[in-house]
Amino acid sequence: MQNGTLTELFVRWTGKLGLNYEFLATGYEAQIWRDGFVTTIYLVLLLIPVSLLFGVLFAACLTSGKPWLLAPVRAFVEITRNTPTLVQLMFSFLALNTFVSNLLGGAQHNPLTPFFWVVAVVGLHVAALHAEALRAGIEAVPASLVEAARGIGFSRLEILRYVEVPLAFRTSLPAIVNNLINLVKLTTVGNAIAVSEITYASIMVWTQRDNVVELMLVILAFFSLLNFIVARIGKWVERRLAVPGYGI
Amino acid sequence: MTTNADTAIVRLEDVRLAFGQTEVLKGIDLAINKGDAVSIIGPSGSGKSTLLRCINALVTPQSGRITVAGTRVDQLTRESERIALRKRVGIVFQQYNLFPHLTVLENIVLAPTRILGVARQEAEKLARELLEKVRLSDKANAFPGQLSGGQQQRVAIARALAMKPELVLFDEVTSALDPETVGEVLWVIRDLIRDGMTSILVTHEMRFAEEISDTVVFTENGRIVAQGSPREIFHGNDNARIRQFVGGLSGARGSVRDGEGI
Repeated sequence: MQNGTLTELFVRWTGKLGLNYEFLATGYEAQIWRDGFVTTIYLVLLLIPVSLLFGVLFAACLTSGKPWLLAPVRAFVEITRNTPTLVQLMFSFLALNTFVSNLLGGAQHNPLTPFFWVVAVVGLHVAALHAEALRAGIEAVPASLVEAARGIGFSRLEILRYVEVPLAFRTSLPAIVNNLINLVKLTTVGNAIAVSEITYASIMVWTQRDNVVELMLVILAFFSLLNFIVARIGKWVERRLAVPGYGI
Repeated sequence: MTTNADTAIVRLEDVRLAFGQTEVLKGIDLAINKGDAVSIIGPSGSGKSTLLRCINALVTPQSGRITVAGTRVDQLTRESERIALRKRVGIVFQQYNLFPHLTVLENIVLAPTRILGVARQEAEKLARELLEKVRLSDKANAFPGQLSGGQQQRVAIARALAMKPELVLFDEVTSALDPETVGEVLWVIRDLIRDGMTSILVTHEMRFAEEISDTVVFTENGRIVAQGSPREIFHGNDNARIRQFVGGLSGARGSVRDGEGI
């Protein structure tokens, strides 16, 4: 097979350099490892929109001026910002998930998977960081501009949607891209609850093959590449949204 | 000016408003006829801008009656009712306040399409007509940051007109402009008034107020000190304070345009 010979060539060539990628020629381990990449990419693609959506929602609550919206979101933002994501994930999976299972009469009835908990915990954690960045951006929108929008007849929500969020998104974009880069790296906490993203998959392989350095090299290169792409897209969006004459 | 309940589009009766301990309006009575142009003049801090904001419910006075085009503004309790009023009353501000992230055309069509539900095509057609009216047809795709102050202010006027308002409030719309661009904005307002748009202007442009107004109102310390025809206020007036104010302004027109005025 063409693919097989290419893999064999790679294994032989890296072997000469003293690197052990022999597992690639096997079926099972190579499959786990490849799936690890796919799972990580899948997590990233899902988490970016989830975090942004909830970030906007949280920011809207934080700037609403309504105590019953503000207080719970503020409390959530503080808790999630100030505690380790790993601990949040373990708490969610070991405590909340068990609670849900008990509520539904047994784990077999619980539809929530470890994958779901990674998306929920990391997504909301990064959303809290987005929310703070967006809040700063919303508060930076001149009061006179908001008054003008009110004067035209926009409602509070319409002002948020058509004026404040578009402007706040532009001012907070560098901070949001930073958060997204962190998000990509945060997906690795999934390995604590057996979500087989790339670090988990790699651990599966290297405990059998004793090739930590070889896999680490690939993991580091992989995350560097992912975040290089995220940063480039961020820059591109920043340029696309740049507004002439507006100091952003 | 003689006014009765049938012809007045705006009527304020004993309107009083305070921000905390500071009394800003101390009993304002004012009636404005449909189609009239009314200029409100007076020293800064006399409550002119606040008075305008009472008319479209951007601020709510503590007491008094305000009737605008058949709506008792002082009795509105819900924000949705105030919003319904504001859609019918245009307002243009000193600082233009265009949406900086939208092109000129988008600035004008945003409110009609998003909050009045006008079809995009129709809104765009009206926007282009209005741009022609304010002589900025070639700037439809420019961003506000690429325009001069005078051009931005003309777009702001077009944006207000796109809502097809029953009256328009102008809040010191030339005060932030370079002296060279004041004229082009006044031109547009003059056209509008000639077309019969009910207009209420807070202004420091005395010569302009004299030229275009049906009524001039002089406010000081939260009260209307005098009101009448431009002739009465600017020439036949025996009130020394008004003469001093008007005289002071015409002696220092350049500086008045640059800043807050007297």
